[in-house]
Amino acid sequence: MSENGQPVVAIAADTTTVTDKVIDLRAIDVYYGRVQALIGVSLEVRQGEIVALIGSNGAGKTTTLRTISGLISPRKGQVLLFGKAIQGVGAAQIARLGVGHAPEGRRLFARMTVRENLDMGAYSRGDRAGIRTDLERVYTLFPRLRERDSQLAGSLSGGEQQMVAIGRALMSAPKVLLLDEPSLGLAPILVDAIFEVIREINAKGTTILLIEQNALLALKTAVRGYVLENGAVALAGPSEELIASPDIQRAYLGM
Amino acid sequence: MRKRLAAFIRTEPEGGPSSAGTSVFWILASSASGLLIIGWLLPWFVGPYDAGVGYSAQDALVSSPTGIGTILIYILAVAMVILFVSPFAEAFMRFRGRTFGPRADRIRLYLGIAGVVLTGVVWLLYRVLGEEPLFGSLQPGEISDSAIWLTMYGFALAALVYGARPWVIGRQTLAFGTAVLPFGIFLPLMFHQAPDFLLWAAGSLAIYMLLALGLNVVVGFAGLLDLGYAAFFAIGAYACASFASPIHNIHWPLWILIFLGAAIASLFGAILGAPTLRLRGDYLAIVTLGFGEIVPDLATNNVFNLTGGPNGISGIDQPHWGFMDFSESPRWYYWSLLLVSIAVIVLLYNIERSRVGRAWVALREDEVAAAATGINTTTTKLLAFAIGASVSGLAGAFYGSLVTVVTPDDFSFSVSIAVLSIVVLGGIGNIAGVILGAVILTFVIFWALPNMDAWSTTLSSTVHIPALANINFSSYTYIIYGLALILMMLLRPGGLLPSRARRIELESAGESESLAAVQGIA
Repeated sequence: MSENGQPVVAIAADTTTVTDKVIDLRAIDVYYGRVQALIGVSLEVRQGEIVALIGSNGAGKTTTLRTISGLISPRKGQVLLFGKAIQGVGAAQIARLGVGHAPEGRRLFARMTVRENLDMGAYSRGDRAGIRTDLERVYTLFPRLRERDSQLAGSLSGGEQQMVAIGRALMSAPKVLLLDEPSLGLAPILVDAIFEVIREINAKGTTILLIEQNALLALKTAVRGYVLENGAVALAGPSEELIASPDIQRAYLGM
Repeated sequence: MRKRLAAFIRTEPEGGPSSAGTSVFWILASSASGLLIIGWLLPWFVGPYDAGVGYSAQDALVSSPTGIGTILIYILAVAMVILFVSPFAEAFMRFRGRTFGPRADRIRLYLGIAGVVLTGVVWLLYRVLGEEPLFGSLQPGEISDSAIWLTMYGFALAALVYGARPWVIGRQTLAFGTAVLPFGIFLPLMFHQAPDFLLWAAGSLAIYMLLALGLNVVVGFAGLLDLGYAAFFAIGAYACASFASPIHNIHWPLWILIFLGAAIASLFGAILGAPTLRLRGDYLAIVTLGFGEIVPDLATNNVFNLTGGPNGISGIDQPHWGFMDFSESPRWYYWSLLLVSIAVIVLLYNIERSRVGRAWVALREDEVAAAATGINTTTTKLLAFAIGASVSGLAGAFYGSLVTVVTPDDFSFSVSIAVLSIVVLGGIGNIAGVILGAVILTFVIFWALPNMDAWSTTLSSTVHIPALANINFSSYTYIIYGLALILMMLLRPGGLLPSRARRIELESAGESESLAAVQGIA
């Protein structure tokens, strides 16, 4: 698999090989205690894609991402990363395998500086030169962060914090990036800017799985989308089809 | 007024970046004053056979100056008084919202240097010429070497603090080390005429400091509350005592045992940690509390016939390497402990700034986010436990050898609490703060509290209030200790030298509290 230059793959399941699936969820059931959060969710993300995960509050979007990055483990079903089952591997190891997670609510290390947060993102890497290149890349994507370099992350504005969260996830040089509501609480102009950056990151070869409240924006950015309802996949398909679907238009796009 | 007072105590009302740096400045400046006054009044502390420099000056003042020495002592006395008063004057000026200019600093720098030189000259003349030619007909009493040392050190410290004020404030850790280290090294020589109790006290101080530094790794760096830390101290001490005493007739040298103690204690740290570190906060605290109770109990019950029961293990070896006879003078323990402490401090300082150190900070901040960035949370916590325990094992090795007896009572809950108090009082997560906390608390526990009765008796006869002598202060030890802790936490909740993270936390806590007040929650 080449890191760069992989064209955005159109959805044609029969032409792709097994290893092309970066993330492959097979009928997973996830519980919080006795409450079932995900019911038989199957989902796949292929090399180079941007895939959007949409749905109302409590549909299980965040739970899906947390399952992929190993923060919770499914009671049933299989999670495959790059074609390998990762049950019981643990979040730290999964992060090392190349999954960058910008979690819900940003979860920055509030009492560390911007730079320290970004450094933490590269925690499991040893290649100093690569880390420096990626830091430079993050600063180029978000010039704002270079200015705020030594400011405490907790004192930044919401938009800047989101930049740090994405930047921190990028610092692990992930093969696949999980973004949990990158537009949450941001001004519209900032939302556009963040999504511009997301497309840019993807164009450089990083696969992206994205959760977003703003369904139209998400589907316009992604090539494919999944719609979660009450913990199960209600609809899946190419973005254009989902945007065109009357159900989606009524329920999520407000048309 | 109240606000002003609080701002004054916190030294940096706007929470500026260097508030810890100014703390170091104040500590060093008042230490200089303290050393000068002790150098002046030394006989008061160690008995009538030694005269301080100041005593001679007082004597010189009442009779007419007859020798060159008396003139020098006059000059010295002026410099001493100015430098002694300096921090108080400066604090008063700040309280009034003003400061001295750089010129005043320069004058004090010169006074300090002149003081060092003149004290040296007086001492040399005194040694070479003797009393008669130096002071004429005056009988100033014996000038003791200790007094000379302390006075010179006080002058030098004052010169450093005022002469290099920006450096002291900017590079606080380095400045603190530079100021304190020579004092530590020369302490046994400064007091070579004084009884050994001072070095004994310094030895127990070093052991408590090592314990606090180790606990600080667990509580301060990794943010895990450990209420049974004395257990690891006990394990280290018992393990080393077993290998250097008649109980099993094994006699290994101390320098091997310190590594053995560290290794065994860290092993037990890992054994306790592995199953329990999934627990968070309060739950972990309870588990460690239980562990802290179990270990001394096992020792009392003479588990596997290893621990000697309630009487513990006695007759522990004291090393004898060539001219270094550890049983003859505590100064060898003192120097070894100083060396080990410096090694531990340097090591921990670097660990804090290493990958693991950063992982601890991330873990303390947000465990989920830390896991998502690839930090193995269990291993990282376990490492904190193991490293913390190893330092206490090392302290245990020295403890047994120093006091030659270990008993289960030496490792009770109150030891865990005392060590935790040192960490909290000094400044959780800040190595310099923990060291300072250890100095102050051991001073309070081992010197001030036991001596309160004697002081109150003296005071009552001086001020003629007989009731004072009847108060039995020793029975109120823990009340006084507790009150001091409460007062301290109210005035400086982050400890004497708060760590950066702690300072930010306190500031933001203040903000959210005032936010709550705005919303009417109060």
